[in-house]
Amino acid sequence: MNTRSTLVSLFVIGLALLLFIDLAGDWGRLSGGWSNLKEFFSESLWPPDWSVLEAQSYPVCESSLTVTCSVAWMGMIETIKIAFVATVIGFMVALPLSILAASNLSPIEVAIPARILLAGMRSLPSIIWAVLFMIVFDVGALAGICAMSFYTVGYLGKLQFESMEGIKNAPLEAAKAMGLSRAEMAWLVAVPESANNLVSHLLFMFEYNVRHGTVIGLVGAGGIGLYINTYLKLAQYDKVVALLLVVFVVVVVIDFLSMSLRSAFNEEGDVERPTWSSLFLPASISSSNHPTPMSRSSPADSDE
Amino acid sequence: MPMDEVLAHLHDVTIGYDEPLIRDINVEIVAGDVIAVLGPSGIGKTTLLRTIAGLVRPLLGEVELGVPSRGGLGYIPQRLGLVGNSSVRTNVEMGTRAGLSAWYPPFFPVPAKQRRYAERAMEDLGIHDLAEQPVRILSGGQQRRVATAKTVAQRPRLVLADEFLGELDDDNVDIVMRTVRHAIEAQNSAMVMVEHHEELATQVANRIWRVVDNELVEEMVR
Repeated sequence: MNTRSTLVSLFVIGLALLLFIDLAGDWGRLSGGWSNLKEFFSESLWPPDWSVLEAQSYPVCESSLTVTCSVAWMGMIETIKIAFVATVIGFMVALPLSILAASNLSPIEVAIPARILLAGMRSLPSIIWAVLFMIVFDVGALAGICAMSFYTVGYLGKLQFESMEGIKNAPLEAAKAMGLSRAEMAWLVAVPESANNLVSHLLFMFEYNVRHGTVIGLVGAGGIGLYINTYLKLAQYDKVVALLLVVFVVVVVIDFLSMSLRSAFNEEGDVERPTWSSLFLPASISSSNHPTPMSRSSPADSDE
Repeated sequence: MPMDEVLAHLHDVTIGYDEPLIRDINVEIVAGDVIAVLGPSGIGKTTLLRTIAGLVRPLLGEVELGVPSRGGLGYIPQRLGLVGNSSVRTNVEMGTRAGLSAWYPPFFPVPAKQRRYAERAMEDLGIHDLAEQPVRILSGGQQRRVATAKTVAQRPRLVLADEFLGELDDDNVDIVMRTVRHAIEAQNSAMVMVEHHEELATQVANRIWRVVDNELVEEMVR
């Protein structure tokens, strides 16, 4: 790093520090904060109240697996359902919009309005969309689905059109020279060429929507957030912590599932697909059970 | 169909981007031509092909094409222009789509006639056993044969090929050129190819365009 870069870096860090001190305001307010937090944690948050995993007294649980009648299970399942439906709807709407917004697939007079539309849908956070849709559909899952779908379109659409704009130019030029239509270029070239990214973004969006389900639930848009909101109002913070831990576990599981799914789409023929053991075990142990990429025959060996 | 049918006519064309690369081009491409464009790197050979293909506007003059705007022109770019994540079959069948109506839904499979064109092209180029493989895992030479099969299956009247014989060994050069020549004769079409290997170019071409001092000089070879 040269002197100029060092000075710029120091200036940026110093500026951030000054702004932090300015924004923090009266430091005197912080006295006793740490002990307050410890007290709040030990008295209200910990240990978590795992009764949220027990069957509710009403309605009577008819399942042999009582956990399926618990607040945590029902809330989480509803959140996952909302996230799944919203992600699928969002993807289906975002894909054509992103094709219209991609400057290498659409004329600029179409791309700019499509981008403005996507930016508009993205600029309102899903919690605001949830409030708006609750006015239309009342409290519940439908408002949650609509809110999440709208935000998904805006967010996913941006990721998708940027992926499509990043593809190689040669296949598009060959298709254009052949006289293929814009729809053919989008469907036959841009979508498969950016498929890895599209799948990756789709899985990320599903995980994001599950996490966000807790937030939009806070305003009554269904899912586990609705229960968290209820317990917050009743000051039952130990139950809130238990539900948040359930959300954390589900998000981790979804993350591992999406990692595995993404690797199935990203495999490059001569690159070894990661295995479950390679995710959890050190390379020296996991690699002994599987062929290394070097041990596989290179496709280039098979021709010419 | 007369053999001297004009498939493309370049009228006083100057090509380039900010600066002119080749000036005052006045040439005709007629049915049956196999034209090799020769010259050192960076002199405008690829830009010439891209200008004829309609991908770059000429700085001056006019390129008049006598082939249908949809499917009439086949272009094999230097980087081949294949869709790496799609199978060999999908790529080759994409060439045949140019012979269908623009309203034919892109997500529908191609009709049986177009499927036969694609099968035949893959067989001729020896890539039929790779039909279901994604293009991205193929070697450079195999990918060149896929790009050629795509254009052969398209059945264009004018083929523009940018160094499409690179990375092929002698046997595969023979297979590719024999297939392309057969396709050109069958369709009464023409080909303009940019080729670095002058010896190879003079073997396969019946006309040579050489870029010298920002001008296109034509040589008759046979």
